[in-house]
Amino acid sequence: MKIQVNARNRAYSFDSGEKEQVLFAGLRSAVDLPYECSTGTCGTCKAKLIDGKIYDPWPEAPGRKYLKPEQGEFLMCQCVARTDITIELGNFVYGLDPGACLPRSSFGVIRRTRPLTHDVTFLEIEPDRPQEFDAGQFFAVGVPGIPGYRGYSMVNFERQAKRLEFVIKKKPGGGFSEWLFNSGIEGTAVNLVGPLGHATFYPNLGKNLLCIAGGSGIAGMMSILSRAVQERYFDQHRGYLFFGVRTMKDTFFLEELSSFRKAFPGSLDITIALSDEDVPADAAGRHPLLGFDRGFVHEVAARHMKGKYQNLRAYLAGPPPAVDGAIRMLIVEAKLTTDNIKYDKFS
Amino acid sequence: MTRTFVCHAADVPANGMKQCETKGGLRLLVAHSGEQYYAYQAICPHQDVPLCEGLYDGSVLTCHQHLWQWDIKTGAALGLAEAPLEYFEVKLEDGAIYIVPPNALKMAELFAGINGQTLEGIIAIARREEYDEGTTLYRVGDPVEDLYVLESGRVNFVIGREDRTTPAGFMLRKGEVFGWAALLDNQPQRIAAATCLEKSSLLRVNGREVLKLLEADPASAFAVMRRLAALVTRYLAASGAK
Repeated sequence: MKIQVNARNRAYSFDSGEKEQVLFAGLRSAVDLPYECSTGTCGTCKAKLIDGKIYDPWPEAPGRKYLKPEQGEFLMCQCVARTDITIELGNFVYGLDPGACLPRSSFGVIRRTRPLTHDVTFLEIEPDRPQEFDAGQFFAVGVPGIPGYRGYSMVNFERQAKRLEFVIKKKPGGGFSEWLFNSGIEGTAVNLVGPLGHATFYPNLGKNLLCIAGGSGIAGMMSILSRAVQERYFDQHRGYLFFGVRTMKDTFFLEELSSFRKAFPGSLDITIALSDEDVPADAAGRHPLLGFDRGFVHEVAARHMKGKYQNLRAYLAGPPPAVDGAIRMLIVEAKLTTDNIKYDKFS
Repeated sequence: MTRTFVCHAADVPANGMKQCETKGGLRLLVAHSGEQYYAYQAICPHQDVPLCEGLYDGSVLTCHQHLWQWDIKTGAALGLAEAPLEYFEVKLEDGAIYIVPPNALKMAELFAGINGQTLEGIIAIARREEYDEGTTLYRVGDPVEDLYVLESGRVNFVIGREDRTTPAGFMLRKGEVFGWAALLDNQPQRIAAATCLEKSSLLRVNGREVLKLLEADPASAFAVMRRLAALVTRYLAASGAK
């Protein structure tokens, strides 16, 4: 199908596959259409149908609450063109940077799962061919029998990755995460679209790094820290990571985080924030390279970061209250400029 | 201009903000800063997000969804924001806040920062015209005379002739200026066609008359020419991209 996008500044046209969502067809053609979650939740990819027919495979997508369907509005991340279509966007749209990892639709096979806590699991997917992505990006993952995709950030960072590593939080009543918690899913084929996401880190940034993550939001930060450590970024710059969970038994990746700290003990600080319990007396003894503090992750970060906001880039991820709290803190208290606050909205 | 009651000043927290609705159903964000009150559109110009849910420190307003920011005193876009806020002039009488919708020329980015008297001169020679949906304002090759400022509605642009045309974007915000070739000396013909996609209200100003007013006020003329150059560059950049 031919898709014509009339944006505020100009028009684009590109082809889409038979079952390909409008958003993914555009991104694959290096047209930087607006999106955040890419999985039907945030409403950022809203567009207006001017001409032609579309099909919406997931009419229950939560992001539809942002739409005025009577005016022809639809979510580009969900809908598939049935005929040639013309759509209109209220946004300014530009081309993707040359050299950006263009997202594509592909398949992967689940190779390994491993519980990290009672409600968080580690998932390893082998993509159909080695995959490039930027540190901090995510893939939209589709599993058999459940409509829609869900976005999961990669934990690892490597060139031509033969494994994509993810962290999955079990959500009660969430059919998707519950499916991924099933035993015996190794060997299952899943749909992948990606890499996606704008909260990326490149070592030419030249700024100190602040990472604030709640729960499974730590995934993308692991990728960013991996890249920064691999490139010896912390020889020149400081790094601060705050990882918030409820209690000590909800923590994971503490060994991996300790090894990052061990490589740069003088310039990388890692603090675990516990919101629901005081820091156990033995925590520091068991994890001597990590700091521990009680409180919500953005509050702990605010306490520890006072006076350290110059020349700083912040990356945020996690449940909406953690991200919103961190944004408020960084803008109102820290007076960080908005171009130095990076996150992808999943809700 | 008729004024419209919005709310009582006491209802707006000091250096805070509040969403209000007029009797006519117009929703506004009223903000207090220092000694002054300011009124803006209630919804973020980016997506349908109520700005009252955003962050406000008494001088800068931030929409919490995508971190667009504005200067509360002018509504000018800051940082990541791609569009200014639509503002309303505020009158404070006996503790009550009233609004008066401003002239679209006062909201035009092209004329931001020019001398107030010069701007009043331009407003004085502007003609307000209403056009029905589907009206063609000008075609490729038409003589260039007026520049246009959008008050309300939506105007679509197409470059090229007959069946070899390309959509070149559209205008939808109050205060957006198009047809600015009227301010260029060596541009006697339109290079795009402009059509109203819906019923639209426009201010038309003769380009030569504007240039005359600007010649008498070189500081303002320089400000307008700088912004015009930026505007032209933006179009070149957009059409040069893939």
